[in-house]
Amino acid sequence: MTAIEAQGAKRDTRNTGPGRLLIAVYAVFALSATARAGYQIATKFSEAPLAHILSAFAALVYVVATVSLAKPGRTWFRVSLAAVLVELVGVLVVGAVSLFDPVAFPHDTVWSLFGRGYGFVPLVLPVLGLLWLNRRRPAKAAAP
Amino acid sequence: MDGYFYAVLAVGLISTIICVVAGIMKKAPNDITIFSVLAVEAVLLVYLIGSIVRVALGEHMAGEAWEFWGYLATALMIPPAAVYWSILERTRWSNFVLGAVGVTALVMAARMNQIWY
Repeated sequence: MTAIEAQGAKRDTRNTGPGRLLIAVYAVFALSATARAGYQIATKFSEAPLAHILSAFAALVYVVATVSLAKPGRTWFRVSLAAVLVELVGVLVVGAVSLFDPVAFPHDTVWSLFGRGYGFVPLVLPVLGLLWLNRRRPAKAAAP
Repeated sequence: MDGYFYAVLAVGLISTIICVVAGIMKKAPNDITIFSVLAVEAVLLVYLIGSIVRVALGEHMAGEAWEFWGYLATALMIPPAAVYWSILERTRWSNFVLGAVGVTALVMAARMNQIWY
């Protein structure tokens, strides 16, 4: 790898500075959401299949976001962007539905009540993610 | 809430405050911030040993045992993982990563207490 390529590669990563804090927080959520979904599906899936499938989906989104943010390159940038957008829509929609229709929607996913059970971090995280992705957007001039 | 929880609460909060202040002061991870995180690990290890002793002496936890041990095992992995992650790139941001350990540990300790009692 030449020096210029190395410099380009360095610019084309989200895994640096504040991005590393973001990835660490995403990793904690990926871990806790996966463990929680696994636990729910293993022990009480039949009680509320929809909520538990949603838990598993949220866990998957956090895993994809964590991995893609840690990887360099434009493809991973797009994966990150998609994951963070899905996360934002997820927390807003699930948060709103769980607020307006608490009976039909048991409060038992990461995103319920806008992530109140997790100190609203699930609501703040995608916003910070989008800000970070915007700041580290791959340069257009670098297109092959 | 038992003594283990309050120990994690105290050490976790002190560690988080130390690391966040160091991050705000634009310092890279140093001995003080890394040792504060290792102190959290030490308290969690005491929690582990204490819990093994309690179970061995015949005490029964109210909740699911494997959920409790799962939380404890995961909590024990977090401080070393954070230290590893923070020394790969030594910037002020790594201190904020270390600062997240104490808070995460105390949330997990609170949950572990709920499961036990």
